[in-house]
Amino acid sequence: MSANRGVPAPPLQSRRGRWWTRGIGIAAAVATVCTVWLGLWVTPPDETQGNLVRLVYIHPGVAWVALYLAFGMAAVASLLYLWPRTRSLVWDRLAAAAVEVGVVFNVCTLVSGSIWGKPTWGVWWAWDARLTSTAVLLVLFLGYLALRRVPAEPEVRAKRSAFVALFAAVDIPIVHFSVLWWRTLHQGATVLNANLSPTIHGSMAWTLLLGFVALTLVFVWMLLVRYRIGVLEDWLGTGELDVALRERQAEGAAVGEEEAA
Amino acid sequence: MRYVVAGYVIVLTTLFLYGLQLVWRRRRLDRAVARVVRAPAPGPGPASVPAAGEPAPGLSGADR
Repeated sequence: MSANRGVPAPPLQSRRGRWWTRGIGIAAAVATVCTVWLGLWVTPPDETQGNLVRLVYIHPGVAWVALYLAFGMAAVASLLYLWPRTRSLVWDRLAAAAVEVGVVFNVCTLVSGSIWGKPTWGVWWAWDARLTSTAVLLVLFLGYLALRRVPAEPEVRAKRSAFVALFAAVDIPIVHFSVLWWRTLHQGATVLNANLSPTIHGSMAWTLLLGFVALTLVFVWMLLVRYRIGVLEDWLGTGELDVALRERQAEGAAVGEEEAA
Repeated sequence: MRYVVAGYVIVLTTLFLYGLQLVWRRRRLDRAVARVVRAPAPGPGPASVPAAGEPAPGLSGADR
């Protein structure tokens, strides 16, 4: 290891961590394949919606991940970063990872909803409260990602980003309650409704549930990999800087020796 | 049914491509880390590499 003098220890990932990530990835792939198989071939068409109901097995799942898991997690992590007792760049990295993955899921939510909306409502897009507030959420978190690319010290960037994430997160309850607060085209909750009595049953209900599990597993896998990328990027930032500093020091020492000789 | 198939294809392809991009980014960074670790130290100096698993000095400040 003498050849690596001056470089901080690389952020090694434990074997257990690698296996967990791999295991979750495999479980996510299997659950997703099962959801697609059940959703497209096994479950019956709906009496009202016909085959379009099959989109419902993935659309609420991606929305659940984007709105509640990803952006909710980003808000909690940002809050933990801003709280002086729990301040750590770990929370900042977690929030950044959750937002990036959440933006991808948010795009999937809008696209799958739009594809369902065209044959159901007759239009690709309506300026409906649920749809508009979800689109606003996407724009807000795209702004968050753009802000993170502005060069700054890690602590400054983390603080700014945390404030923006909390500001953007105000839209999450608006999206959730939009179908109750305003008269919207979008239907109300099927499972988590006011009476907590699901209006979907049998194989349809199980497929919907599996879709939620599958997409949650996909999110967890993506979050783990994206978090790891953040750790490596941070390390490379400091690691490469250390190498550059040592090179400059070595050059200075060599010049000093030459002058002394 | 074509709307249904289009919805599944678009959502699953988007997630798959994003996942693939994450794996690619991670591998590229792993290789970059390995390159930095392998780089020979220029000139004499005190050995300051902590053992594997110890917190990196460059990161400990940031992780407070």
